[in-house]
Amino acid sequence: MWQVYLKELLELSRDRKTLMFVILLPILIFPVIFGLLGLVAANVTANAQAEEHRYVIINGDKAPVFAEKLFYHKNFKQVTTTLTEPEALRQAVRAGEFDLAVIIPADFDGASAQLRQSQWTFIYNTAPVMDLIGNYLKDLVKEYSLQLQLVRLETVGITGPQVDAVLEPVKINKISSAENRENLGEKLGGWIAYLLVPLCFMGCSYPAIDIAAGEKERGTLETLLICPISRTNLVLGKFLTVLTTGLATALITVLSFGGWGYLIGSLAGVDIVAKAMAALGLVDLMLILAMLIPLTMIFASALLSLSIYARSFKEAQNYIGPMSILVFVPLALALLPGVELTWKTALIPMTNISLCIKELVKGTIDMGILSLVIASTVLLAGVLIAFCVHWFQREKVLFR
Amino acid sequence: MIEIRQLAKAFALEKGQKLSEAELQDVRYTGRSFCSVRDVSFSCKQGDVIGLLGPNGAGKTTTLRMLSTALKPDAGSIWLDGQDVLRDPLLARRKIGFLSSSTGLYGRLTAFENVAYFARLHGMSEVALRQRIDELFTMLDMHSFASRRAELMSSGMKQKTAIARAVVHSPALVVLDEPTTGLDIMTTQTVLDFIRGLKAAGTPVIFSTHHLDEVSSLCDRVVVIHQGSSAFDGSLTTFSQLSPQGDLRQAFMAVIKQESA
Repeated sequence: MWQVYLKELLELSRDRKTLMFVILLPILIFPVIFGLLGLVAANVTANAQAEEHRYVIINGDKAPVFAEKLFYHKNFKQVTTTLTEPEALRQAVRAGEFDLAVIIPADFDGASAQLRQSQWTFIYNTAPVMDLIGNYLKDLVKEYSLQLQLVRLETVGITGPQVDAVLEPVKINKISSAENRENLGEKLGGWIAYLLVPLCFMGCSYPAIDIAAGEKERGTLETLLICPISRTNLVLGKFLTVLTTGLATALITVLSFGGWGYLIGSLAGVDIVAKAMAALGLVDLMLILAMLIPLTMIFASALLSLSIYARSFKEAQNYIGPMSILVFVPLALALLPGVELTWKTALIPMTNISLCIKELVKGTIDMGILSLVIASTVLLAGVLIAFCVHWFQREKVLFR
Repeated sequence: MIEIRQLAKAFALEKGQKLSEAELQDVRYTGRSFCSVRDVSFSCKQGDVIGLLGPNGAGKTTTLRMLSTALKPDAGSIWLDGQDVLRDPLLARRKIGFLSSSTGLYGRLTAFENVAYFARLHGMSEVALRQRIDELFTMLDMHSFASRRAELMSSGMKQKTAIARAVVHSPALVVLDEPTTGLDIMTTQTVLDFIRGLKAAGTPVIFSTHHLDEVSSLCDRVVVIHQGSSAFDGSLTTFSQLSPQGDLRQAFMAVIKQESA
């Protein structure tokens, strides 16, 4: 078994595709891709924030203070129009004549202290994900409304500390029982699994294809089958190879991201990696990595079984391609709001690992449920390994 | 030395596989299965070189695969040195050296690594395998490409490496499946010389071939397989006498005609 394992590792280490998947991709390409994405996102945001939006204001003279705030806002530039009707203004916005139309009712009088609510209309494109115009307007209206509130409260004799009592009768002092780590875990925990689990799968897939279907295609399998080594040892040697590459990919990626994060954090004066590591603790980190072992065993045995069934490298790729999509479904399930680690969810493969990692990052793991997750995953891995070994004994599979 | 009795092996047909008219006439197709080998028997004694002949698809490769334990027969028995191969395939694998019709080398491993890997799988120690590989590489003139990866070798180099790999454990019986197919004249000669060397050393060899000149120059015995059954099993002399002119081609055709009738 070990001879098979060592030979497979030696051969894979000389394969450019494997090196790319297991080493180059996690160390260089992933960080570069994520870095570029971050850079592009930052640039897009910066450009969007610097963008000047052309606006028209109807009846601006009725709310001169607001009109002035809008006029001096760095992201708005006033243009003129003869249009006054909402539908005509909407068509003009759609046509790109200007970006925003503010319609203040003709009967509005900002200076008056009338206790009457006024309804204003803002016409702009609300489709963009970053609703910058909406955010700017929200701030401006909030500030302007506060001014009106103060004036109106004063007219009814409310001044000083009474103003706060009216505007905010109940002020909440929120003290979180959650530690920083728990908050961090809730936000990031699910995504850690979302990154690590597919990496384990990806790290397993190419080697599994190469050392099973690839071996069949190259004609080396037949020669191997007539060596004085049991087929169980043969498949276990191959299984260990696939397991090693799967875990190595995940580990190298984590170390790579950690390293790059630390480096960039040090240069930029942000110590998020150091903080995350300090919050997590070595035992939890080891537990997270340990949980990936039975999960990768599941991937390795399933992929090896599929791959040995295939007649060729290409056929194996056709089987494994759709399977990679299936991996994301239980992971996405774990990210849904309200899905928690319970005795029931602890039995859903992959979802359980994802939820467990989240709880470990939060530091709120229930050791009983953790044991169940590990036990159920190990059991499933054991069943799949047994199936893989059985599958390798079948002539119909080996000589398809 | 090795005795094969009434071997049979059937394969299930693919779902939806339609049979041609010719296939429907073929006695090997029964229901939804194809009986690749129906009844093959022959024996090989110490020092014998047996030529396994037969048309394409006759069942030669399946027979050799069963002999080498890659496939398990549905019926029949194989005895090697008095031991039941089917009961203890691992023991048989230690004693048999098999060269399949494809060289079956690991492209990313060198010639030395390819041979050494199989030597290790046969349980040879590092010292013993190095000594044996050196001996084989000298015999087959392989030292010049010992550290070259198989993917960069010529077909002749690959075939030599495959031969070295097949016999690295000094097998008691060597089985070769069409060892000279697709080789150039020089490499073919190397392979034939190698078989002669095995014969001289008293190692029995069973090899399948379509080249009757190889049979005439190397074999003591001939086995003809036709439609999954042994159609002839006898000495080269008896086989050649099936043709009035002693021509092996005519003898082969006579056996096939007789069986087809």
